[in-house]
Amino acid sequence: MKRVVTHSFHLPRLPLLVAGIALLATGVAAAAPQRDAILAALAAEAKAADSAFAGFSAERGGAFWNADHTGGNAETPSCTSCHTRDPTAEGKTRAGKSIAPMAVSKTPDRFTDAEKVTKWFNRSCKNVLGRVCTPTEEGDIIMYLSGK
Amino acid sequence: MIRAGRIQVWDLPVRLFHWLLVASVSTALTTELAAPESWMGVHIAAGTVVVLLLVFRLVWGVFGGEYSRIASFLYSPRRTFAHLRGLALRRPPHYLGHNPTGAVMIFALMAVLTGLVATGLIELGGEEKQGPLAGILSYALGNGVKPVHKVLAYAVIGMILFHVAGVLVEGALTRAPLIRAMFTGWKPVDGDLPPESIEVPRAASPKAAALWFAAIVLPGLAVLALLWQLPPTGVLHPLREPLLDSECGACHRPFHPSLLPRASWAALMANLSDHFGEDASLPPDEVKRIGDYLQTYAAEAWDTEAAHRFSVVSPDQPLRITETPYWRRKHAHIDPAVFARKEIGAKSNCGACHGDAATGRFDDQAIRIPIQNP
Repeated sequence: MKRVVTHSFHLPRLPLLVAGIALLATGVAAAAPQRDAILAALAAEAKAADSAFAGFSAERGGAFWNADHTGGNAETPSCTSCHTRDPTAEGKTRAGKSIAPMAVSKTPDRFTDAEKVTKWFNRSCKNVLGRVCTPTEEGDIIMYLSGK
Repeated sequence: MIRAGRIQVWDLPVRLFHWLLVASVSTALTTELAAPESWMGVHIAAGTVVVLLLVFRLVWGVFGGEYSRIASFLYSPRRTFAHLRGLALRRPPHYLGHNPTGAVMIFALMAVLTGLVATGLIELGGEEKQGPLAGILSYALGNGVKPVHKVLAYAVIGMILFHVAGVLVEGALTRAPLIRAMFTGWKPVDGDLPPESIEVPRAASPKAAALWFAAIVLPGLAVLALLWQLPPTGVLHPLREPLLDSECGACHRPFHPSLLPRASWAALMANLSDHFGEDASLPPDEVKRIGDYLQTYAAEAWDTEAAHRFSVVSPDQPLRITETPYWRRKHAHIDPAVFARKEIGAKSNCGACHGDAATGRFDDQAIRIPIQNP
């Protein structure tokens, strides 16, 4: 039996690889501007509320994140009640559903969708503190988790 | 068949029938009374075997050997009373085949078993939405025959006990090796045959029996297979609402809309800012879209067992599925530690154990409780 050999058409590999990497790089880089924009908006709000505002602090954010608060749902006194003390680990909702890690190093698209950020800060702050968070608190948390 | 000193009373098909019936009825009773609900598939298989055995026995009752023939143990009431009187006086007349009292038991057992498989099939189709009749029966009918199925099952247990007692009593009184005969088929004959026995036993016609068996079973199967093509009544296949998956699904596995009645869903969607202690607020347009979906596909829209059961909510906590009387009853035997397992996490995680939770069917056979992995 005669074997039919088909010569497949090869795309030039190197240029494709370069293009792929470039695309990936812009994708990763594109996430940061959105986060920066969210931070900038929060900074503007913080400044409007308090003229002495001098920028966000990852350290303050970490302390807030790990602290036990009062005023919210007694079952969830802290951000860590659901998200655990390790921001790179998966968290768990009260209903048992797992939450992707909050650390930007593990979940790169964290804090890139302004609507989602507002929605979840509003909900989670009410659950933990019984009130909405201030722009400073929110910005600090984003700084803290961006560095994790 | 008569040989020196012994006679074959029970032919091989009757013996096989007897012991297969013992096996299948025991399996059906055990799976219902003692096994977890996920064994329902075995219960259904056992019931199917009982159906085939009943059809076979009726056919063999016409074309089998002498002592297998129904006509050979159709006794007049007078002879039945004479046998009962003999039993009371401890010297029952000796029959080689079924005696009149035993015959009454056999007809009763066949009738009760027929009732059991019939009600079982109706329950399966109407209530569980499974099997060949799921496309034509309502939940109300399937659920309605449930007590009948139960009473007949207890009747069978009583009849089995009565049957075994009868065999032991008759064996003791007549000294006949009755139990051995149901294995070997042979009964010893001392000299002459007992006076009540048949002089010339008729032979079996296996070919005629096989033809009739096929003539009954094959068209029966064909009809059931055709009915099986019908979609189950009241089981909907709604398109998934992406918002339900993304918004409700962010915190918990989304519940099937059929698991609460419309009034409960409406109250739940009206108070998302305090959603079981959490703030789950959504923009009004999303509340409306999810709310409309839940109203369209709430319990009232379905005819499944889950929808009917969960439409009865807890008076105190009408929004909690896990507080409905039915949920509590069905999960009462489950250790709270099971819900805490890593793979389950919460009582509200239906899909962790119910493989078909997302369809709203909640078939018994789809239950698999995850084993704790260390």
